Amino acid sequence: MNINTPILWVLVPIFMALVTGTLFQRRTLSLILSISTALGLTLLAIFFPEDLTLSLGPFTITFVERLAFLGRQITIVSEMLPLVALVYLATTLWILSSWVTDTPEIFRPTSLVVSGLLTAALGVQPFLYAALLIQTAILATIPALSHTQKRPSPGILRYLGLQTIAMPFILIAGWLLTGIFTLPPDSPLVSQSMLVLGLGFALLLGVFPFHSWVPMISESSHPNVTSFLLFILPTTILTFGLNFFDRYAFLRTSQDVFQVLRMIGGLMVVLGGIWAAIQDDFKRAFGFAALMETGFSLIALGLAIQGGLNWLLMLFPARAMAYWLWGYTLSKFEVHLETLNLQTMQGFARRFPFLSLELVTAQFSIAGLPLLASSPVKTALFTGVLDVAPGLGIWVFVGNLGLFLFTFKAIASLVKPAEQPMPQSWSKDEKLSDYLPALIIIVVIILMGLFPQIFLDPIRTTLTAFTQLQ
Amino acid sequence: MMLLSTLAFIVIVISAMAILVFRDWRINTGALGIQYLAVFALVALSWPVGMSVIKLIVGWMASAAIALSCLRQNKPDTSSESSASLIFRGLVGLLMIILIFLLAPDLQANFFPRLDLVIVQSGIMLIGMALVQLGTTSSAYLTIISLLSFLAGFEVIHAGLELSTLLAGLMVIVNLALALVGVYFISMEGELAPAPEEEGAE
Repeated sequence: MNINTPILWVLVPIFMALVTGTLFQRRTLSLILSISTALGLTLLAIFFPEDLTLSLGPFTITFVERLAFLGRQITIVSEMLPLVALVYLATTLWILSSWVTDTPEIFRPTSLVVSGLLTAALGVQPFLYAALLIQTAILATIPALSHTQKRPSPGILRYLGLQTIAMPFILIAGWLLTGIFTLPPDSPLVSQSMLVLGLGFALLLGVFPFHSWVPMISESSHPNVTSFLLFILPTTILTFGLNFFDRYAFLRTSQDVFQVLRMIGGLMVVLGGIWAAIQDDFKRAFGFAALMETGFSLIALGLAIQGGLNWLLMLFPARAMAYWLWGYTLSKFEVHLETLNLQTMQGFARRFPFLSLELVTAQFSIAGLPLLASSPVKTALFTGVLDVAPGLGIWVFVGNLGLFLFTFKAIASLVKPAEQPMPQSWSKDEKLSDYLPALIIIVVIILMGLFPQIFLDPIRTTLTAFTQLQ
Repeated sequence: MMLLSTLAFIVIVISAMAILVFRDWRINTGALGIQYLAVFALVALSWPVGMSVIKLIVGWMASAAIALSCLRQNKPDTSSESSASLIFRGLVGLLMIILIFLLAPDLQANFFPRLDLVIVQSGIMLIGMALVQLGTTSSAYLTIISLLSFLAGFEVIHAGLELSTLLAGLMVIVNLALALVGVYFISMEGELAPAPEEEGAE
């Protein structure tokens, strides 16, 4: 029996999303189906047989890595599976957290559809068509993002607008790049193509000055939905972007391109850090932290010659855990408060010590505090950028301090007794079931920080899917 | 052929101006439907009619979905809008038309030498007017109409560059999903608006 891998990791989740979407009123059944689908696909991606055959008693299943579709192909090669496993592991975790938080019911089918479409985007040939699949995934996220609101927020409209405008840029750039092999490197068409391509990716990734939707939707939408979206979209878009470096030699050999990427990344870290530092709102601060992370990804791309592509991939699992933790704890706090800012959450650590600790750990992990998940990669990135461009390295370091500053402000506010007639004493208003899932993730975050070679290294295999980038 | 493409271009200019200037959903959705007729005519110059008719069908489906949602939600017309804002948008639209007439020949010569000038002008006209509309409105349904126009403009140009069944299929999905998002937004706003009887009672 033959099974095409795209059927498994693209069509099955989309089909299951339709099933769970239909059954959304039967919450438990929908949850079980969603979780088992996402977890099953994660495990299959992790334990996928290298020889593409699986023997189950008398049955032998042969996996085919390609699926012909409307005259083109979707290919999910085994080298890409570590990333696919991460995508579905993240989906599993976020679906699990939707169970214990008041996440909109539509989130579960949405997350499966988005994961399926984005996995297809990783494998569609010609790879340019991925822009359309990403656009479809973006459209699928809209109901989950706006579910808790009374009317579509300006942030969502801006997100939809900017992401839709991005797609034609990528497709036109792809067309312009078609005949580029025959042109001399100083041809104006080369720089024009790079400009159009850069604009497309800047719009997709929310690069400054197209970033405004990130803090806006982070503030207005459910934290669990936003954190999932802000993890899964940039991860896939950045991996899709690697295709361009793999295919076009003038991109991967151009020092100017890498320099521009480092500078834009640095600018995003600095601006994101400053904005995060002056925030009062935890949800908006998360948006700015996500912008900083996009900046770090661009810096890693810009350090490709120094090994930055490995760091880019290694950032993904660490980021997934921290984003999940931040989204989960904010979702839990949102049950008690309408707005999550430094004033309203004053003294919360005295009532919810574990959840507060978990929130602070998430922020420290994203900021790259030693012993936490991001720290090994962030240290390598800082060292790399300081070697190549010391001035930029100092700016990046200073920008990153912005998130530390916000976290210290948050700790001060969470610990300070709330202004009440009686002095607020320490108590525990949280249940074990509230904070236990996040405690487990904290342990994973610490383990990732301590043993990056075990937890972060496997995803580097993804790079072997790009023959020119190894 | 030349006559057909020029006629399609004129229809695009008029419909894009109507969408930009007026805020009445009947005019906007009607103009969007007519716009897709012109898009079909232009795409048919590069693609087989059998494939280019997909653009027309999808465009009309999207327009109809938005129009029916507005009708169902009793979306109020905005005829009380001041004439100054109409004139302002009209002038901005005229400025955009002039700008596109000035820029299109250079753009065609440098980027799309294989395409007719009218196709480039039509595509850029749709894209430009949609961007102006996006910049001047915060209404959800107008945002969706602008994005549909924007994509239509892109499709006019891209159809002349590449013929792909998968691309056409994916564009269908994107356009229909965008229209569905529009329907979702309109129904969200409609749930908030008081029913006509309640309004009358008050």
